Amino acid sequence: MKFKIISLSLLAAAFIGCSKEKLEPIPQTALSDAVAFSDSARCVQQVQGVYSSLKAGQMLAGRYQVYQDVRGEEFINRTNNAVTAWLTWQFNLTASANEVQNFWAAAYACINRANVVMAGIEGSPISATLKRNLIAEAKVVRATAYFMLLQLYARPFTDGNGARPGVVLRLTPETSAGENNRARSTVGEVYTQIIKDLNEAETELPLTYTNSEHRVTRAHRNTAIALKTRVYLNMGQYGNVITEGNKLVPNAAPWQAASGVANALNASIATVFSNYTNSEMIFSMPFTALDPPGVQNGLGHYYNAAPNGGGEFSLNLDPVGIHANADWRAQDARRNFFVTVGGHVRLNKWPNPANAADWSPVIRYAEVMLNLAEALARNAAGTTVDARALAILNAVRKRSDATIADFAPANKDALVALILTERRIELLGEGFRTSDITRLGGTFPAKGVVGAVAPSANQYIWPISLAELLVNKSCEQNPGY
Amino acid sequence: MHMRKLLFAMLAWLLALAPALAQNKTVTGKVTDDKGAPLSGVTVSAVGANARALTDASGTFSIQVPEKTRTLRLSYVGFDNVDVAISGSNLMVTMKPEDKSLEEVVVVGYGTVKKKDLTGSVSTIGGDKVRDLPVQSFDQALSGRAAGVNITIPNGVVNNPPVIRIRGVNSISLSSFPLVVIDGVPTFTGDFGNNASNNPLGDINPADIESVEILKDAAAAAIYGSRASAGVLLITTKKGKQGRAKVSYDAWVGWTRPFNLIPVLNGRQYEEIKNEGLTNAGTPPNGTSRGFYPYIGNDGQPVSTNWYDVIYRTGVSQNHNISISGANEKTSYFFSAAYTKQEGMIRQNDFKRLNATMSLDHKVNSWFTLGGKFQYANSNNFGVNSGSQPGGAFATSGIGRLGFNLAPNVPVFLNDGSYNINRASNQIGGGANLTALQFTNPQVLLDLSRFGSESDRVIANVYGNVKIMDGLNFRTTFGIDNMTIINKTFQNPLHGDGVANNGNAINTNQSYRRWNLTNVLNYNKSFGDHNVAALVGNEQQYTAQEGWGAWRQGVTDPFYNEFQGGFNTIVPSGNFLGENYLVSFFGRVNYDYKKKYLLSFNARRDGYSAFSPENKYGNFWGASAGWVVSQEKFFENSGLSKIFSNLKVRGSYGVVGNNQGIGDFAFWSFFSSGLYGTNPSLFFSQAGNRDLRWETSKKTDIGLEMGFLNGRLNVEATYYMNDVDNLILAEPQAPSRGIPGNSILQNVGAMTNRGLELTINYNVIQKKDFSWNTSFNITTLRNRVTALAAGGADIQPATSGLERPSMIRVGESIGSFYAVRTAGVNPANGQRIFLYRDGTQVQYNHAAPVASRWTLVSNGAVAPRVADQANDGVIIGPALPKWTGGWDNNFRFKNFDVSMLFFFSGGNYVYNGTRAGMLDQRSWNNTTDVLKRWQRPGDQTDIPRVVFGDNISNGSGVVISENVERGDFLKLRNITVGYTLPKNLTDRIGISSFRFFAQVFNAFTLTGYRGYDPEISSNGNGNGNPSVDRNSVPQARSFNFGINVGF
Repeated sequence: MKFKIISLSLLAAAFIGCSKEKLEPIPQTALSDAVAFSDSARCVQQVQGVYSSLKAGQMLAGRYQVYQDVRGEEFINRTNNAVTAWLTWQFNLTASANEVQNFWAAAYACINRANVVMAGIEGSPISATLKRNLIAEAKVVRATAYFMLLQLYARPFTDGNGARPGVVLRLTPETSAGENNRARSTVGEVYTQIIKDLNEAETELPLTYTNSEHRVTRAHRNTAIALKTRVYLNMGQYGNVITEGNKLVPNAAPWQAASGVANALNASIATVFSNYTNSEMIFSMPFTALDPPGVQNGLGHYYNAAPNGGGEFSLNLDPVGIHANADWRAQDARRNFFVTVGGHVRLNKWPNPANAADWSPVIRYAEVMLNLAEALARNAAGTTVDARALAILNAVRKRSDATIADFAPANKDALVALILTERRIELLGEGFRTSDITRLGGTFPAKGVVGAVAPSANQYIWPISLAELLVNKSCEQNPGY
Repeated sequence: MHMRKLLFAMLAWLLALAPALAQNKTVTGKVTDDKGAPLSGVTVSAVGANARALTDASGTFSIQVPEKTRTLRLSYVGFDNVDVAISGSNLMVTMKPEDKSLEEVVVVGYGTVKKKDLTGSVSTIGGDKVRDLPVQSFDQALSGRAAGVNITIPNGVVNNPPVIRIRGVNSISLSSFPLVVIDGVPTFTGDFGNNASNNPLGDINPADIESVEILKDAAAAAIYGSRASAGVLLITTKKGKQGRAKVSYDAWVGWTRPFNLIPVLNGRQYEEIKNEGLTNAGTPPNGTSRGFYPYIGNDGQPVSTNWYDVIYRTGVSQNHNISISGANEKTSYFFSAAYTKQEGMIRQNDFKRLNATMSLDHKVNSWFTLGGKFQYANSNNFGVNSGSQPGGAFATSGIGRLGFNLAPNVPVFLNDGSYNINRASNQIGGGANLTALQFTNPQVLLDLSRFGSESDRVIANVYGNVKIMDGLNFRTTFGIDNMTIINKTFQNPLHGDGVANNGNAINTNQSYRRWNLTNVLNYNKSFGDHNVAALVGNEQQYTAQEGWGAWRQGVTDPFYNEFQGGFNTIVPSGNFLGENYLVSFFGRVNYDYKKKYLLSFNARRDGYSAFSPENKYGNFWGASAGWVVSQEKFFENSGLSKIFSNLKVRGSYGVVGNNQGIGDFAFWSFFSSGLYGTNPSLFFSQAGNRDLRWETSKKTDIGLEMGFLNGRLNVEATYYMNDVDNLILAEPQAPSRGIPGNSILQNVGAMTNRGLELTINYNVIQKKDFSWNTSFNITTLRNRVTALAAGGADIQPATSGLERPSMIRVGESIGSFYAVRTAGVNPANGQRIFLYRDGTQVQYNHAAPVASRWTLVSNGAVAPRVADQANDGVIIGPALPKWTGGWDNNFRFKNFDVSMLFFFSGGNYVYNGTRAGMLDQRSWNNTTDVLKRWQRPGDQTDIPRVVFGDNISNGSGVVISENVERGDFLKLRNITVGYTLPKNLTDRIGISSFRFFAQVFNAFTLTGYRGYDPEISSNGNGNGNPSVDRNSVPQARSFNFGINVGF
C-alpha cells in the first residue's frame, strides 16, 4: 500500500504541472512596440505604413476624391447605394452615415500613425539625416489628412477667415486609453498647423529618391511645395500660392520644376494616368494586386462600369455638367477619358479592375500650374489679364487640344472663369469639385433629381461623425445636424 | 487462506440446513399502488429468511415463510421498498412510486453528485431530448428546455450557431456563449465557416449524447473558474450500460420550408407604386428616360416574378444512426455511426455529416480502471451568401433581402433563355424599366457560385483511475480536440460579387489543435453521519490555431470554378497564427451532516497566456449551503410532511471569471506588416493594455426546491443575480485619437443580470395505458449596464457595420434600441412625423429641395435641423426578453406517445430593420403594406406618401421607433407523435422494439410582430446588439418521419 501511494504520488507529480513557456507566448506575426523602431529598415517601413493609411480605401484610394466630386454637378448616381456615396451625392447625410463616420475615422487613423511614427523615429537609433527625412515625410501625410478633413467637415477658410469650427487637432501619438475629450480647433488653427507641417517638411525632406517609384509614392521637397499651392489656394491667400508656385513653375515653357525631382507637364495627357511614374505625378498612391484599394473603394470602382467597376456614377450630360461644355472640343484628348457603356457616359481615367487598380493621383504638375495661374490672375492689379497666368492656362489646355486657338479673355474675371472651367476639365474625377465650389462661396448646382445647395444651407458641409460625438464630449456638431 | 475457505463452507452448510429445521407459515396479501390499482410482479421476500414470491395480475401473493419471520419486504421497480409487519395472514399493502428525481445523478465539473445533495444550480437535459430532431447541432434543440437558459435560433440557415444565454448577457466585448465541455474537454464554439455556416458543435452526433448539464451559478460553475461567467454546458456522451449488447437503429426523413414569408408586391403593383413615387418626386415617368414598365414574357404576358420561389425550396433531409452498446461487470463499450444529409430551405444550403464514436471502459482490477473515447466527424456545410450571418445584413447579394427587394416586373431569365442581368452595372437586368434597378439576380449566384466549409474533427480522450485506498481515487485524463476546417469559396465572374475580380476562388485551411490534461485526486468518505467528498486537481490546456490560404482572381476561362483552375492573380487570404495556454489548480469540498445540512466550497486559480505577466492569474471561488428541511424530525412529525415530499433551501455565492473570446495576444501593443504598393510597411495595429485582467462575475443564487405528491410534482424556484464586474470592454476611443479599431480593451464595464427561475415538473397522470408528464419553466431577466468606460460613454454597436439601432448605456438594459420617435403620418400631406427629443414635431418631404425637406409640423416652416439619432434618439427597451421559457408535454396512450415543446419569450422589443428595407422608396420592391400608403389629404395611414428615392421616411436612413416592435412570441418548437409496435409483434420479428414517429419542428408562431419572426437575430451571438432583424432569411419549418428500432 505504501509503495502504491509513493509511486502514485511520483506519477502524479510527473503529470501535474504548469508550463511557463506556454504561459508567456510571443506573437510570431507582429513586432512588439519595444522593437518596432529598432533600426533604419524598420523605420523606413514605418513611414511606408503611414503612407499606406493615407491611401486607405476610405481615403485617397478613391473615396475622398469621389466625395469631393460627386457633391458637385458633374456626375449622376446610378446605383442608389447608400454605402457608395449616394447620400453624399444627394446631400442627405446624417452624422451616422457611413461615409461621415468612416472617412473621419480613416483620416485620424492616418494622422495617428503619422504621430506615432514621428515619435518612434525620434527615439530610434538611426542617423540624424534619415531621422529628419522620415519625420518630414510623416508631416506631409499628416498635413494632407488634415487638409482633407477640413474640406468635408468644416466651412471654408474663406468663410470668416478661418474663424469657423475646424476639426479636432491631435499632434501627439495616441497609444493607450486616455483623453477623449477635445474641442474642435478653428479652421484657421488647423490650416496654420498644415502650413507649419509643410513648411518644416520642405526644409527637411530629401530633394529626390534614387528609386523612380519612390519619387512618386514618397514625399520629396517639391511635394511639400506643391501641396502648399493647393492649401493656400483654398485659403484664398493668393500671394502665398504665387510664392510657392514660383518654386516649381517657371515663367515660360518648358514647364518643369527647376530643382528637386524634375516634375513637369507631361507632353501628353493620355499617359499621365497610365504611366504611373511619369514626371507630372508629384505624388500618387500606388496599388498592386497584393495591395488593392479594397471592395467598393477605388476610383475605378466608382466610375467604371462592371466588370471593372461598380458603375456607381456616370457623367451628368445635362448642360450644367462639364461634359456638355461647348468650348471643350471633341478633339480635346481629355474627352478620350469618356466611354459609353450601358447607355451611360463614364469616366475612364482609371480603367483597370480593383485587383489591378490604377494608381490614384494626389497632386500633379498640371494642378500646380493651374493653382499658380489662378493666383496670378486674381492677384493682378485692377482688371488686368495676367499674361503669365494666361500662358500657363493655354499651356495646360493646348497640351490636350493642340489646334485650339489661344484664349483671349477680355479681363481678369474672364480669365479667372476660364481657369476655373479648365480645372473642371483637367482635374475631373481627381477630387477637386467640392473645394473649388466652397472656397469661392459658390452654390452646388442642381443635378438630376437633386436640388441646388446654397452656401447658407447646412448641407453645404458634412456633419461631424456620430462616433466622435458619442465619446468626445467636447466636440460640437455642425449646425443643422 | 485455506482455513478461511473451510469456515465459509461450514457456515454455508449450516445456513442451508436451517430452513429444514424451522416451522413454516403461509402469508397472503394484496399489493396496490397509492391509487388502489393492483400491482403485479412485486417481489415479496421474508426479512431474515430465504423466501420469495411475486404478486399476480390481481396484485395478490402467497408466500411460505418461517414461523419466526416478523416482516415482509416488498420491492418493485419504480416504487419505494416497503417493509410490512406480518399481522394476520391477509395483508393489504400500498406501495408508493419512488421519487426518482432526487436519486438522479447529476454531472458536475470533474465529477458527479446526487441531485438531492446538490447545492448549486444545475439543469439537466436528457439526451433523448436532442436526438431524432431536424437539427444539425444538439444545441439547436435545447431551447425552452431549462430555466435560466435562453436559446434562440437566429434564422433558417443550416448549421448556424444558436444564440445561447445563461442567465442573461454576461459580457459586452468578450463571449457570452457558455463554455461547452465535452466529456471533460472544453471544446470550440462559434462559426468557422465562410458564407456556409459551420458550427463546430454540429460535428457532434446528437444521438451520442447521454445528457447535457447546464451549470448556472457560482457553486456549480466556479470549478471552471475563469471560463464560467456565461455558464457551462457539460456534454456527457453515451457509455455502454450493464446488460446484453443493445443494438439500435434510428432514422428519419424530413422536408423543410420557410414559413411566415411576408407578401410583397407583384409586378403590376410594383409599377404602380414606383411610378407614383417618381411622380410625387416631381420627376414623373416619361417613357424615355425614367419610369417602371413591365417586361413582356414569351407568353405575351407582363412578367411578375416571385423571387421567394427562386431562393427558397422544400429541402429534403435524412438521418441514420446505428449504435451497439453493452457492458459486463468489467468492461463497457459503446459504438455508434451516423450519417445525416440535410437540405435547408434555401437552395444550395446543405449539411452533411458522417460520424463514428467508440468508447470503452475497463476495470483492470480492484484498484485500476482504464478507458477512453474516440469521436470522428466529417461535416460538410454548403451555403450561399444568405445575408443572415453576423456582418452580412447589407450584402448586396444577400439572399435574404433579394427575396423581398428585387423588382418583380423583370424575369429570372430573358425570353432568349439567358440570365436577366445587366453586365454594365452588375445588377439585375432592368427589363423594360427605364429607371435603374438594384441588387443581383440570385439565380446566377445559386447556379454558378459556391460556398463550402468542411470540417474534420477528432475528439478523443483516455483516462486512468486508480483507487489508492478506500474513498481515495486519482484520475488522470488526457483529451484532444482537433479540428481542421477547409473553407472554399467560388464567386462567378458573370454576376455579383465575383465580377470585380473576374471571378474569385478562395480556399483557406484552418486548424485548431487542443490538448487538455486533467489530474484529479478525489476523496469520498462517510464518518458516521458526516459525509465528506473532496477533490483537488490540476488542469492544463493548450490550444494552437492557425490558418492559411489563398485567393485566386480572374478566371482565364469561364469553364473554371475550382481553385486549382486557371486564374491570373493570387493573393494570400485567411492567414492567422495563435496559441493559448491555461493552467489551473482547483479544489472542492462537499460536506453534509445526515444528508440534511449540505455545504460546498470550491476554488480555482487560473493562469492564462493572453494576459500580461503581472496579471496572468485570477482566483475564483464559490460557496454554497443547503438545508433539506424535509429530513428534519420536526418536519416529518408535522403536518407539512404530508404535503411536501421534499423541501430544500439552498443558496450560493461566488466569483467566477471570463476570458472567452479574448485575443491570444490581447495585452500586447504591436505593429503589423503590410504593403505600400510594392514596399513593405509596418503599422501600429494594436493598442494593448498590460493591465488587462480577468472579467469577474459575482454570482448569487438562492433556491427553494419542493416536492409534492410523493415526488410526482416538483417545483424549483430560484432567484439569481450576476453582478458582472471588470468587464473587458473594447472601450470606444474618440475616433479622432486614431487608435486602431477605435477601441482599447479595458476592464471598465459592469453589468447586472437578475431574475427568477421557476421550474415545475409534474407527472400528472401515470396509468398503465395513459400517462402525462409536463414540465414548465420560465425565467425572468432584468439586465442593467451599471458602468462603462470612463465617463460612461455610450456604445452603439453596429449591425453589419452600417446601422446602429442598438445602444449600450449605463442604467439601461444592454442593447436597448436607440431610435428617433415617430408620430405616424401627417394626414394633411402624407409626410412622416418625427419627434425631436424635446417633443417638437417635424416632418420629412423627400420631394422638396434638400435644404427644406425638414419642416415643422406646427407651421410648415423649415426646421432648424434634421431629426437624427444623435440629437433625437430615445431608448426603447429592453431588447433582451424580460421573460423566456418552455413548456414540454409528454403523453403516452397505450402504444402512442406525443410530445410537444412550446417555447416562449417576450417583454422585449425587436428592431424590424427588415421592414425598413421592405418599405424603402428606391427601386426596391415593397411589402404589400405599401398599398395603403397616403394618397390624398385626409388619408389616415401609417405608410407615408411614396416619393421615389426616399429612404428616410421608412427608416432605412435613420432608426425610427416605427420599426421597433414588441417581440413577444409563443412557438410550438416541436411536436412529435410516435407509435411503438406491440411487444408480441416485435418479438415475432425478433427485434426488441420498433417505434414510428412523425414530427413538426417550428410548427407555428403566435406573435404580433410584423416581420418574419421575432426570434431572428441578425447579429447572432453579439452581446450588445440583440433582437435586431435586418434582411435575414426567416426560420425553417420541418416535417419529419422516422423510426427507432431496438435489437
